Amino acid sequence: MKKEMQIILEVSDQAENFYEDAVQLGDHAAYALKARHRSQMTGLENIAESTLKSSDVLDYIKRQTARFPYWRQNFPKDLSNQSFNERSKQSEESDPSNKGFGERLKLYLEKNLVDKRNAICSEKRLNISDKTDEGRQSRRRVYLLLIRQFLRQMVAQYEYRVSFEDRKKGA
Amino acid sequence: MPSPEQMQILWNLSDTVLYAEAVVFIRHLVYDEECMPLPASQVTGLLNISNASSYAELDRFIRHQRDRNWPESRKDVKTFYTELDKLFATMKNKRLRDEFHLVQAKQNSKETIQEIDELMALLAHDFIQHLIAENGLLAVEKATERAKRGR
Repeated sequence: MKKEMQIILEVSDQAENFYEDAVQLGDHAAYALKARHRSQMTGLENIAESTLKSSDVLDYIKRQTARFPYWRQNFPKDLSNQSFNERSKQSEESDPSNKGFGERLKLYLEKNLVDKRNAICSEKRLNISDKTDEGRQSRRRVYLLLIRQFLRQMVAQYEYRVSFEDRKKGA
Repeated sequence: MPSPEQMQILWNLSDTVLYAEAVVFIRHLVYDEECMPLPASQVTGLLNISNASSYAELDRFIRHQRDRNWPESRKDVKTFYTELDKLFATMKNKRLRDEFHLVQAKQNSKETIQEIDELMALLAHDFIQHLIAENGLLAVEKATERAKRGR
Protein backbone atom coordinates (compact mmCIF):
# COMPACT_ATOMS: atom_id res chain seq x y z
CA MET A 1 0.00 0.00 0.00
CA LYS A 2 1.25 3.47 -0.79
CA LYS A 3 2.53 5.56 2.11
CA GLU A 4 -0.01 8.31 1.49
CA MET A 5 -2.89 5.85 1.75
CA GLN A 6 -1.39 4.35 4.90
CA ILE A 7 -1.21 7.84 6.47
CA ILE A 8 -4.86 8.55 5.63
CA LEU A 9 -5.97 5.21 7.09
CA GLU A 10 -3.97 5.70 10.30
CA VAL A 11 -5.32 9.23 10.79
CA SER A 12 -8.91 8.03 10.20
CA ASP A 13 -8.33 5.25 12.68
CA GLN A 14 -7.16 7.72 15.32
CA ALA A 15 -10.12 9.98 14.56
CA GLU A 16 -12.40 7.19 15.77
CA ASN A 17 -10.40 6.98 18.98
CA PHE A 18 -10.43 10.69 19.83
CA TYR A 19 -14.04 11.33 18.83
CA GLU A 20 -15.23 11.33 22.47
CA ASP A 21 -12.55 13.87 23.41
CA ALA A 22 -13.57 16.12 20.50
CA VAL A 23 -17.18 15.93 21.69
CA GLN A 24 -16.14 16.98 25.19
CA LEU A 25 -14.15 19.93 23.90
CA GLY A 26 -16.96 20.85 21.51
CA ASP A 27 -19.34 20.99 24.47
CA HIS A 28 -16.84 23.11 26.39
CA ALA A 29 -16.56 25.44 23.37
CA ALA A 30 -20.35 25.76 23.16
CA TYR A 31 -20.56 26.56 26.88
CA ALA A 32 -17.78 29.16 26.73
CA LEU A 33 -18.28 30.78 23.33
CA LYS A 34 -22.03 30.43 22.86
CA ALA A 35 -23.55 30.86 19.40
CA ARG A 36 -22.67 34.54 19.24
CA HIS A 37 -18.93 33.85 19.01
CA ARG A 38 -19.25 31.31 16.19
CA SER A 39 -16.68 33.24 14.14
CA GLN A 40 -14.02 32.12 16.66
CA MET A 41 -14.64 28.51 15.69
CA THR A 42 -14.67 29.23 11.96
CA GLY A 43 -11.46 31.24 12.37
CA LEU A 44 -9.80 28.33 14.15
CA GLU A 45 -10.94 25.84 11.53
CA ASN A 46 -9.79 28.11 8.70
CA ILE A 47 -6.32 28.47 10.19
CA ALA A 48 -6.01 24.72 10.70
CA GLU A 49 -7.18 23.94 7.15
CA SER A 50 -4.95 26.48 5.44
CA THR A 51 -1.68 26.44 7.38
CA LEU A 52 1.36 24.24 6.83
CA LYS A 53 2.52 24.56 10.46
CA SER A 54 0.89 23.23 13.60
CA SER A 55 2.48 26.10 15.54
CA ASP A 56 0.22 28.54 13.65
CA VAL A 57 -2.81 26.76 15.14
CA LEU A 58 -1.30 26.81 18.64
CA ASP A 59 -0.39 30.50 18.32
CA TYR A 60 -3.95 31.29 17.22
CA ILE A 61 -5.38 29.50 20.27
CA LYS A 62 -2.98 31.41 22.53
CA ARG A 63 -3.82 34.77 20.96
CA GLN A 64 -7.57 34.26 21.28
CA THR A 65 -7.17 32.95 24.84
CA ALA A 66 -5.21 36.05 25.80
CA ARG A 67 -7.60 38.38 24.03
CA PHE A 68 -11.07 37.12 24.94
CA PRO A 69 -12.22 36.17 28.45
CA TYR A 70 -14.66 33.60 27.09
CA TRP A 71 -11.75 31.53 25.75
CA ARG A 72 -10.60 31.29 29.38
CA GLN A 73 -13.90 30.08 30.77
CA ASN A 74 -13.91 26.78 32.69
CA PHE A 75 -16.45 24.05 32.05
CA PRO A 76 -18.49 23.35 35.20
CA LYS A 77 -17.70 19.92 36.62
CA ASP A 78 -21.33 18.84 36.71
CA LEU A 79 -21.63 19.42 32.95
CA SER A 80 -18.32 17.78 32.18
CA ASN A 81 -18.25 14.12 31.25
CA GLN A 82 -14.57 13.53 30.65
CA SER A 83 -13.83 10.77 28.25
CA PHE A 84 -11.46 7.92 28.90
CA ASN A 85 -8.61 9.36 26.82
CA GLU A 86 -8.58 12.66 28.70
CA ARG A 87 -9.03 11.03 32.11
CA SER A 88 -6.21 8.60 31.62
CA LYS A 89 -3.81 11.45 30.88
CA GLN A 90 -4.71 13.72 33.71
CA SER A 91 -3.03 14.43 36.98
CA GLU A 92 -4.49 16.81 39.53
CA GLU A 93 -2.65 19.67 37.87
CA SER A 94 -3.78 18.85 34.36
CA ASP A 95 -7.39 18.02 35.24
CA PRO A 96 -9.21 19.49 32.20
CA SER A 97 -12.13 20.67 34.31
CA ASN A 98 -9.75 23.09 36.06
CA LYS A 99 -8.83 24.72 32.77
CA GLY A 100 -10.35 27.32 30.53
CA PHE A 101 -11.40 26.28 27.03
CA GLY A 102 -8.32 27.65 25.22
CA GLU A 103 -5.83 26.19 27.67
CA ARG A 104 -7.58 22.81 27.60
CA LEU A 105 -7.63 22.72 23.80
CA LYS A 106 -3.97 23.76 23.54
CA LEU A 107 -2.96 21.10 26.05
CA TYR A 108 -4.89 18.44 24.14
CA LEU A 109 -3.25 19.33 20.82
CA GLU A 110 0.21 19.63 22.39
CA LYS A 111 0.12 16.44 24.47
CA ASN A 112 -2.54 13.95 23.40
CA LEU A 113 -2.29 14.49 19.65
CA VAL A 114 1.52 14.54 19.74
CA ASP A 115 1.41 11.15 21.50
CA LYS A 116 -0.95 9.88 18.81
CA ARG A 117 1.30 11.25 16.06
CA ASN A 118 4.31 9.51 17.67
CA ALA A 119 2.40 6.24 17.88
CA ILE A 120 1.30 6.42 14.24
CA CYS A 121 4.84 7.24 13.08
CA SER A 122 6.52 4.54 15.21
CA GLU A 123 8.55 1.73 13.64
CA LYS A 124 5.72 -0.78 14.07
CA ARG A 125 3.28 1.34 12.09
CA LEU A 126 4.21 3.96 9.50
CA ASN A 127 7.90 3.89 10.44
CA ILE A 128 8.49 7.60 9.83
CA SER A 129 11.73 8.66 11.45
CA ASP A 130 12.41 12.11 12.84
CA LYS A 131 16.09 11.84 11.92
CA THR A 132 15.80 13.02 8.31
CA ASP A 133 14.32 16.18 6.78
CA GLU A 134 11.91 14.05 4.76
CA GLY A 135 10.78 12.17 7.86
CA ARG A 136 10.30 15.39 9.81
CA GLN A 137 8.14 16.77 6.98
CA SER A 138 5.97 13.66 6.98
CA ARG A 139 5.59 13.77 10.77
CA ARG A 140 4.60 17.43 10.55
CA ARG A 141 1.98 16.53 7.97
CA VAL A 142 0.58 13.64 10.03
CA TYR A 143 0.30 15.93 13.06
CA LEU A 144 -1.50 18.59 11.03
CA LEU A 145 -3.91 15.99 9.62
CA LEU A 146 -4.68 14.85 13.17
CA ILE A 147 -5.25 18.45 14.30
CA ARG A 148 -7.57 19.16 11.36
CA GLN A 149 -9.56 15.99 11.95
CA PHE A 150 -9.87 16.69 15.66
CA LEU A 151 -10.95 20.30 15.13
CA ARG A 152 -13.53 19.31 12.50
CA GLN A 153 -15.11 16.91 14.99
CA MET A 154 -14.92 19.47 17.80
CA VAL A 155 -16.50 22.24 15.69
CA ALA A 156 -19.26 19.86 14.51
CA GLN A 157 -20.13 19.16 18.16
CA TYR A 158 -19.96 22.90 18.95
CA GLU A 159 -22.43 23.63 16.11
CA TYR A 160 -24.72 20.83 17.24
CA ARG A 161 -24.69 22.05 20.85
CA VAL A 162 -25.25 25.75 20.09
CA SER A 163 -28.11 24.88 17.72
CA PHE A 164 -30.15 24.08 20.87
CA GLU A 165 -29.35 27.56 22.16
CA ASP A 166 -30.55 29.06 18.85
CA ARG A 167 -33.75 27.00 19.01
CA LYS A 168 -34.46 28.13 22.58
CA LYS A 169 -34.07 31.76 21.52
CA GLY A 170 -36.33 31.19 18.52
CA ALA A 171 -39.04 29.55 20.63
CA MET B 1 13.89 33.65 -2.39
CA PRO B 2 14.34 30.42 -0.39
CA SER B 3 14.00 27.18 -2.35
CA PRO B 4 11.05 24.78 -1.72
CA GLU B 5 13.47 22.50 0.17
CA GLN B 6 14.59 25.39 2.38
CA MET B 7 10.96 26.32 3.02
CA GLN B 8 10.20 22.76 4.16
CA ILE B 9 13.12 22.94 6.58
CA LEU B 10 11.96 26.35 7.81
CA TRP B 11 8.44 25.05 8.51
CA ASN B 12 9.87 22.05 10.37
CA LEU B 13 12.12 24.34 12.38
CA SER B 14 9.26 26.67 13.19
CA ASP B 15 7.16 23.82 14.62
CA THR B 16 9.85 21.83 16.37
CA VAL B 17 12.59 24.29 17.39
CA LEU B 18 11.47 27.92 17.23
CA TYR B 19 8.09 27.39 18.88
CA ALA B 20 9.58 25.70 21.95
CA GLU B 21 12.50 28.13 22.15
CA ALA B 22 10.25 31.19 21.91
CA VAL B 23 8.15 29.88 24.81
CA VAL B 24 11.28 29.21 26.89
CA PHE B 25 12.74 32.62 25.96
CA ILE B 26 9.79 34.73 27.16
CA ARG B 27 9.04 32.53 30.17
CA HIS B 28 12.66 32.80 31.29
CA LEU B 29 12.45 36.59 31.15
CA VAL B 30 9.14 36.72 33.01
CA TYR B 31 9.62 33.95 35.59
CA ASP B 32 13.40 33.86 36.15
CA GLU B 33 14.43 37.44 35.39
CA GLU B 34 11.18 38.81 36.85
CA CYS B 35 10.52 41.04 33.85
CA MET B 36 6.99 42.11 33.03
CA PRO B 37 5.57 40.67 29.79
CA LEU B 38 6.18 42.89 26.78
CA PRO B 39 3.66 45.76 26.75
CA ALA B 40 1.04 46.03 23.99
CA SER B 41 2.73 48.99 22.27
CA GLN B 42 5.98 47.03 21.89
CA VAL B 43 4.11 43.92 20.73
CA THR B 44 2.43 45.91 17.96
CA GLY B 45 5.67 47.59 16.86
CA LEU B 46 7.66 44.36 16.83
CA LEU B 47 4.96 42.44 14.98
CA ASN B 48 4.57 45.15 12.36
CA ILE B 49 8.26 45.35 11.65
CA SER B 50 8.69 41.58 11.55
CA ASN B 51 5.81 41.29 9.08
CA ALA B 52 6.89 44.04 6.75
CA SER B 53 10.65 44.37 6.77
CA SER B 54 13.86 42.72 5.74
CA TYR B 55 15.96 41.14 8.46
CA ALA B 56 18.42 44.05 8.26
CA GLU B 57 15.62 46.47 9.14
CA LEU B 58 14.31 44.24 11.92
CA ASP B 59 17.85 43.98 13.30
CA ARG B 60 18.18 47.77 13.22
CA PHE B 61 14.86 48.15 15.04
CA ILE B 62 15.88 45.67 17.77
CA ARG B 63 19.23 47.39 18.30
CA HIS B 64 17.57 50.79 18.36
CA GLN B 65 15.14 49.62 21.03
CA ARG B 66 17.97 47.98 22.95
CA ASP B 67 20.09 51.11 22.95
CA ARG B 68 17.34 53.57 23.86
CA ASN B 69 17.60 55.31 27.18
CA TRP B 70 14.65 53.61 28.85
CA PRO B 71 13.36 54.99 32.17
CA GLU B 72 13.77 52.74 35.20
CA SER B 73 10.10 51.76 35.06
CA ARG B 74 10.61 50.30 31.57
CA LYS B 75 14.02 48.68 31.95
CA ASP B 76 12.36 45.29 31.26
CA VAL B 77 11.87 46.40 27.67
CA LYS B 78 15.61 47.01 27.36
CA THR B 79 16.33 43.58 28.84
CA PHE B 80 13.93 42.01 26.36
CA TYR B 81 15.57 43.60 23.30
CA THR B 82 19.09 42.89 24.61
CA GLU B 83 18.29 39.19 24.93
CA LEU B 84 16.45 39.05 21.61
CA ASP B 85 19.41 40.67 19.85
CA LYS B 86 21.80 38.08 21.32
CA LEU B 87 19.52 35.21 20.31
CA PHE B 88 19.16 36.36 16.71
CA ALA B 89 22.90 37.08 16.44
CA THR B 90 23.70 33.48 17.43
CA MET B 91 21.04 32.20 15.05
CA LYS B 92 22.45 34.19 12.16
CA ASN B 93 26.16 33.68 12.79
CA LYS B 94 26.18 30.06 13.85
CA ARG B 95 22.96 28.06 13.93
CA LEU B 96 21.79 28.92 10.40
CA ARG B 97 24.77 27.00 8.97
CA ASP B 98 25.89 24.59 11.69
CA GLU B 99 22.60 23.47 13.16
CA PHE B 100 19.80 24.31 10.76
CA HIS B 101 21.87 23.52 7.62
CA LEU B 102 20.03 26.18 5.67
CA VAL B 103 23.12 27.79 4.16
CA GLN B 104 25.99 26.04 2.44
CA ALA B 105 29.68 26.55 3.19
CA LYS B 106 30.93 29.83 4.59
CA GLN B 107 30.84 32.38 1.82
CA ASN B 108 30.49 36.09 1.92
CA SER B 109 29.31 36.77 -1.60
CA LYS B 110 26.57 39.31 -2.14
CA GLU B 111 24.14 36.49 -3.00
CA THR B 112 24.91 34.59 0.20
CA ILE B 113 24.45 37.70 2.32
CA GLN B 114 21.09 38.29 0.67
CA GLU B 115 20.10 34.64 1.13
CA ILE B 116 20.97 34.83 4.84
CA ASP B 117 18.93 38.02 5.18
CA GLU B 118 15.89 36.34 3.59
CA LEU B 119 16.19 33.20 5.69
CA MET B 120 16.70 35.17 8.90
CA ALA B 121 13.66 37.34 8.12
CA LEU B 122 11.50 34.19 7.92
CA LEU B 123 13.01 32.56 11.01
CA ALA B 124 12.79 35.79 13.03
CA HIS B 125 9.21 36.36 11.89
CA ASP B 126 8.11 32.95 13.14
CA PHE B 127 10.10 33.22 16.36
CA ILE B 128 8.49 36.60 17.09
CA GLN B 129 5.01 35.28 16.25
CA HIS B 130 5.48 32.38 18.73
CA LEU B 131 7.01 34.64 21.36
CA ILE B 132 4.21 37.19 21.18
CA ALA B 133 1.49 34.52 21.38
CA GLU B 134 3.04 33.20 24.59
CA ASN B 135 3.62 36.74 25.85
CA GLY B 136 -0.15 37.36 25.62
CA LEU B 137 -0.87 34.40 27.90
CA LEU B 138 1.74 35.58 30.40
CA ALA B 139 0.29 39.10 30.35
CA VAL B 140 -3.17 37.71 31.24
CA GLU B 141 -1.64 35.55 33.97
CA LYS B 142 0.12 38.58 35.51
CA ALA B 143 -3.02 40.74 35.26
CA THR B 144 -5.06 38.00 36.99
CA GLU B 145 -2.47 37.79 39.78
CA ARG B 146 -2.57 41.57 40.23
CA ALA B 147 -6.38 41.57 40.34
CA LYS B 148 -6.37 38.81 42.99
CA ARG B 149 -3.85 40.71 45.12
CA GLY B 150 -5.92 43.88 44.77
CA ARG B 151 -9.07 42.22 46.14
